[in-house]
Amino acid sequence: MTTPAGADAPPHDVEEVTKQAQVTRFMPGQPDMWAFVLFETLVITSYFVVYLLFRTQHHELYLQAQADLDLRVGIFNTIALLLSSWAVARCVQASRAGAYRSALTNAVLTIFFGFVFFVSKVLEWVREIRMGNGFTTNEFFQHYFFLTSIHCLHLLIGFVVMGVVVYQLWSPKRRSQELVETGATYWHTVDFLWVLIFALLYVVR
Amino acid sequence: MSTAFNNRLLVVWALLSAMTLAYLWLDHSADDDGTLRPSTVVTVSVIVIALVKVRIIFREFMEVRHAPALLCRLTDAWVMLIAVCLLGSYFIGQTISN
Repeated sequence: MTTPAGADAPPHDVEEVTKQAQVTRFMPGQPDMWAFVLFETLVITSYFVVYLLFRTQHHELYLQAQADLDLRVGIFNTIALLLSSWAVARCVQASRAGAYRSALTNAVLTIFFGFVFFVSKVLEWVREIRMGNGFTTNEFFQHYFFLTSIHCLHLLIGFVVMGVVVYQLWSPKRRSQELVETGATYWHTVDFLWVLIFALLYVVR
Repeated sequence: MSTAFNNRLLVVWALLSAMTLAYLWLDHSADDDGTLRPSTVVTVSVIVIALVKVRIIFREFMEVRHAPALLCRLTDAWVMLIAVCLLGSYFIGQTISN
């Protein structure tokens, strides 16, 4: 719902405002961001197709290489990103209800969980490289490093996006519900792309 | 100030996390004493679970549930498109290699 958030808007019960917003259908965030999200998903999906086609040609090699990945680390990463997605969804609802302090807290929590994911990802790269699994070691790790680093790049852009959301929420003069929703749409995209990458790199057999 | 959050978001997060943890069980069911084994059942299940998670994120977290019908249909079409691409390339790849 893209109603401009007034500077002096009184805080309402978040649940109540959320229910009211659900009565009328609304576009969450700017349509341009949705066009970007769908386009980006197509690009990554085309890469998944290449990965799966190559994988099925050298099943044994991929399985052997995949054994060096720790599934528990992947699950930890996924839950950290899901927590950040949950926080940003709460941020959108709080901001819509005029509860800006809560919206700010949730925006900061989003960045925090995103950062936990980032640190965990870098540590995993270091571990893999120490084990002798680099970008050129084999086909599997080439795909692994390509997909995880492209995703990480999106995550770093996400930090900038969430930084803008925090900056806008900070001052009553700058608050815009549309901008918060647009930022959240981008952040959720980073999350669901990881859900797909995680499934394809860590668990597929 | 009342911030009684929509519990629905918490339920959604718990469901998505539970589906993520289900991968641990799927992973163990496919392995043989630590050696990874190829398995079409595991592969298809993993892809389907991931797509269900993506659709839940679209509808609940991204608020597509309350969006205009066009966006609902478009995101559903996208999930189907990803499903066809992933499962299609996996099965075509397997047919070629046999």
